[in-house]
Amino acid sequence: MTVARALLSVVLALAGLLLARPAVAHQATIAVLEFREMRAGVYIGRWTTLPKDGANRIDLRMPPHCLLRLPELNCGDKGLVGQMTIANLGEDMSAAIIRVTSLAGETRSYTISAANPVVTVLGTDAPTLDTWIELAKTYVNLGIDHILLGADHLLFVLGLIWIVQGGWRLLKTITAFTIGHSVSLAVTAFGLIGVPEAPLNACIGLSIVFVGVEIVKQQRGEIGLTAKYPWAVAFGFGLVHGIGFASALAGLGLERRILPAALLFFNVGVEIGQILFVTLVLALIWAHRRLGAELPRWGAELPAYAIGSVSMFWFLSRLVRVLAAA
Amino acid sequence: MSARLRTAALTALVLLAQSQIADAHIVNARLGDFYAGALHPLLTLQDMLVLVALGVLAGSLGAASGRWLVVVFPLGLCAGLGLAVAASIAPVPPVVDAATILLLGLLLAASLRIPVALLCAIAFALGMMRGAANAGELVPQTDRLLYAAGLACAGYVTITLVMAVALTFRRPDTEPVSSWRGIALRAIGGWVAAVGLMMAGLSFAT
Repeated sequence: MTVARALLSVVLALAGLLLARPAVAHQATIAVLEFREMRAGVYIGRWTTLPKDGANRIDLRMPPHCLLRLPELNCGDKGLVGQMTIANLGEDMSAAIIRVTSLAGETRSYTISAANPVVTVLGTDAPTLDTWIELAKTYVNLGIDHILLGADHLLFVLGLIWIVQGGWRLLKTITAFTIGHSVSLAVTAFGLIGVPEAPLNACIGLSIVFVGVEIVKQQRGEIGLTAKYPWAVAFGFGLVHGIGFASALAGLGLERRILPAALLFFNVGVEIGQILFVTLVLALIWAHRRLGAELPRWGAELPAYAIGSVSMFWFLSRLVRVLAAA
Repeated sequence: MSARLRTAALTALVLLAQSQIADAHIVNARLGDFYAGALHPLLTLQDMLVLVALGVLAGSLGAASGRWLVVVFPLGLCAGLGLAVAASIAPVPPVVDAATILLLGLLLAASLRIPVALLCAIAFALGMMRGAANAGELVPQTDRLLYAAGLACAGYVTITLVMAVALTFRRPDTEPVSSWRGIALRAIGGWVAAVGLMMAGLSFAT
């Protein structure tokens, strides 16, 4: 049983350690592109503020059903609905403002920047069934991606599974974690609270350190807080991780009227990913029990140390960032 | 602070001292290559046939034999991938792939009692072959370490689960080879061998 956890811990830990990339600074220039709807679904666009290195170098990506040949943008019957992005943002331009004026004369502005790389445009009659389907596909996938790529979240869940050991207690604990991160995700996405990303990520690292220490305590025969009240710990740290999940939505420039639905679908995606991970871990624990493949006594504590060391590494590296920014 | 916590903190500090600048959040970094490495063997027929056949073979031999493959097979995958990258070794021809699948199928169908050391040697060799075959997907931009981690992880998860399922189904400690469960697994071996034979024929034809 411990081998499964150990290998998963090591893989997640290695993945986390190997991912560091230096930040790249870029010039701060802003371009403005205006689209005016001339007839249903057909727009004429022009740069009112040209990008620094000329408009031709900008890799503007419109929704797949739209054909962009500036000055014309033809989106057919569906209209200009979907996601817009600039693929090479940051090379010569730090942000772009896209203004869209509909036939009715209503103008909407969308800002694409490094912090907000994709914007979602809704039709004037939205939300339609197509919008819902598109939203569900986009945000469920985004949620799954976010949890499966979030090695820190997975390591925390792995720590919980380790301490709680399965059964109804595990179900309650994972449910408490889910409720916790769902609440804080919603509260943060609606702008009711705002937490700076750098210290938050340090706290997420610290939450895994806590779980690592709790595992060591349990192995020494002590009853830690997590072993006593796993659901409370899961709920508490779930709140912290949920704010982290919200950062994935924050960069998408969602219109407020679709935010609740996007949030719901994103959360569904996170839950699907989490259930997949928990199921896989439980299946591996079962398989190791069947095969009698367990770590020798001298290596029993290795996984706890792996979790503790990696999470401490994350915590310290993120703390350094916080202090450097201060 | 306890001694163990201090050890963990020290280890983290050592890692920190040797690292580049870390991303604020892991999701911002490249984990795509990890999943590329993990998914590639799961979506390739040759890889899946080897994984399933080897897992069923090891599981049918009992837990004492099979448990070694939990470590040996992923190590073989990494060794094969590493060797292919370092020495630019080309993957084995399709006919050799087909022959190994045929051989695995025959071993399973014959229900031979394979010694643990031989089973480990076979698993390591197969792991190396499949690892080298998966190196073909690497491009200069691929993070090789992440890709190898994903590949090893997929190999470990699949072989462990298949062995456990086969062991649970076969019950080698309580039921003889001639039981219907043993015959069913031998039949699977026959199918695997047949697929290997067809693949060999196809490789000659093309």
